[in-house]
Amino acid sequence: MDLIFNSLPLLARGTLTTLYLSAGAIVLATALGVVLALLQLYGGFILRALVEVYLYVVRGVPLLVLLFAMYYALPYANVQIEPITGGIAVIGLYFGAFMTEVVRAAVLSVPRGQWEAARAVGLTTPRILLDVVLMQAVRMAGPPFVNTCIMVVKGTSLVAIIGLADVTYVGKQIVERTLAPFEIFGAVALVYFVICFGLSRLGQYFERRLNYVH
Amino acid sequence: MIDFSFLARVAPTLAEGLATTVLLAVPAILLSAAWGAVVVMGLLARSRVLAAVTRGYVEAVRNTPVLVQMFFIFFGSGYAGYPISGFTAGLIALVVQNGAYAAEIYRGGIRAVAHRLAEAGLALGLTPRRAFRIIVLPIAIRNVIPPLSNQGVLIIKDTSLVATISVAEMTFHARLLADRTAAVFEIFFTLALFYLLLTALFTGAMRLLERRVRIT
Amino acid sequence: MSTDASGSLAAPAEIEIRGVSKWFGEHKVLNGISTDVKRGEALVVIGPSGSGKTTLLRCINLLEEFQEGEIRIGGDAMGYTVDAGGRRVRRSEAEIARMRAKLGMVFQSFNLFPHLSALRNVALGPVRVLGVPPQEAAEQAAALLARVGLADKADALPGRLSGGQQQRVAIARALAMKPKAMLFDEVTSALDPELVAEVLDVMHQLVQEGMTMVIVTHEMAFAQAFAHRVVFMAEGEIVEQGEPARVFQDPQSKRLQAFLKRFKQGYQL
Repeated sequence: MDLIFNSLPLLARGTLTTLYLSAGAIVLATALGVVLALLQLYGGFILRALVEVYLYVVRGVPLLVLLFAMYYALPYANVQIEPITGGIAVIGLYFGAFMTEVVRAAVLSVPRGQWEAARAVGLTTPRILLDVVLMQAVRMAGPPFVNTCIMVVKGTSLVAIIGLADVTYVGKQIVERTLAPFEIFGAVALVYFVICFGLSRLGQYFERRLNYVH
Repeated sequence: MIDFSFLARVAPTLAEGLATTVLLAVPAILLSAAWGAVVVMGLLARSRVLAAVTRGYVEAVRNTPVLVQMFFIFFGSGYAGYPISGFTAGLIALVVQNGAYAAEIYRGGIRAVAHRLAEAGLALGLTPRRAFRIIVLPIAIRNVIPPLSNQGVLIIKDTSLVATISVAEMTFHARLLADRTAAVFEIFFTLALFYLLLTALFTGAMRLLERRVRIT
Repeated sequence: MSTDASGSLAAPAEIEIRGVSKWFGEHKVLNGISTDVKRGEALVVIGPSGSGKTTLLRCINLLEEFQEGEIRIGGDAMGYTVDAGGRRVRRSEAEIARMRAKLGMVFQSFNLFPHLSALRNVALGPVRVLGVPPQEAAEQAAALLARVGLADKADALPGRLSGGQQQRVAIARALAMKPKAMLFDEVTSALDPELVAEVLDVMHQLVQEGMTMVIVTHEMAFAQAFAHRVVFMAEGEIVEQGEPARVFQDPQSKRLQAFLKRFKQGYQL
């Protein structure tokens, strides 16, 4: 127990990094998801094809491979990015594909009758999306969105492999010094559990708030 | 234009890890599917204690990264005096994690079979057990093939993580190569190609399976 | 006897349907339908399921496409025009939307926007399509809700309203666009029997106020009492039409006779 107590500051710093990575990646992935889903649903042939290619590639390649690619390629790149920004970029780009599917499914799940009623009144597609479909899509998208966010948080653990000091990396360092894998990795697992479980609880709370009485 | 000859140079090195990747992925997929079936029985158990414990296991596993689980098992086993190989640790972690997901998929698949169908079975005079076996299960099995195949793709991709606990699969070899040469772009491009190939093959096989068991 | 819509002999037809045909793959759902709906006329379309009556209705505001023929609303071509070379040209989405705004449609499954209150459901069209200032639109919406008997439900979400109430909100929503004509697609079929009357009452009101209406329905009593003209469709064609008294009391075609016989067997009128 003493050991965990002493490690707390380090673990806390690592947790902060994990949170920072997660938040950044979630924002990026969501933005990407919305844009690409709309392109996929309403874009021209070329745009749709590009989105399909992106989705296919990202779904078939491990996140770790993408992170490695960035890690090794970074020195050769012209721009100077901080590794942590690169991490957010790669993780956000990766989960952007999952978010695209979430948004697409949500928009498609809004009943056809809603579209017809809106068209019958004379609204056009962009207006219909904004006023009628969006709110309903958001409600439908709640659970899968939260699930994807949880995947993002878990995905950030991979940056430990390329040496970014998230809570997993810190944990591994401590274990290598102190040889107390159960306590330390248990603590690390607890950190993730609290974050992810908290997210799913938050999601349930919002689901209830957005729920209309049926 | 681009010189594709690097493929010929890089691919053989990566291919050395291919067997390990497949050797890890296939048992992981099969064992996860099997373990998930066991877990879902716990989830749906009549005993509230058993259901609660199982639910606890599923939630604990789903909310922690598989990498941390791998470290836990790998380093933990060594410390506890029963060291296991990175391969074994990786396999166990993958099954523990994905078994929980599989259980959730099974649970969803069973619930998705309309209550009314099961009721119709009961109305005919079937016992609940037989109604489950004859009506619910066949439909549920067909329901779960798509999400399970998604899960399988994730397992294939997660095998890359065992590179960190010194298992010589594809990503491990790629990293070794990248540490030595400057052709990083070519190396990871080829590595990505390998994974795309693997996942494409797997997805294709699962689609064939879907079609074979289709009802309509 | 219903109020006669003539005196409008010289008035232009509000809706003109000319030779409209529609195929669904190989199956011809509508076969050269032609009819006019005069301004102020209440037209009821009846027929067995699969007769194409709902499809025809949905062609009028182009929720369904038709491959042949022409539909005009107040003289303006809906959906397709014919260019100089005689070919069919689809009008722009903006033009189609503009024309849809001139028609009001009420659906069998209400299709109210579940996340908006009754008032906002009604006001959405005027604000977003007609450009009415929100305050004014809200006032008009409140007046419309009062007109359909739901003044006290303005802030209620659709989920809290009964089927009959929801359908009346839907009617108010269609009226808010100040349409030239209104289309009713089996609007009482999904309602519990005791809720049907409140909706039919509103529709009767509209007929008496001189609204041009095309109504697809199974409510034969309503058709007999309030329609100006009844059209009987079967298998994609207009089989018989005329004044309700004549159509129901003295059906000429065998098809209509058979159809009405099946209905009368179930009713205690």
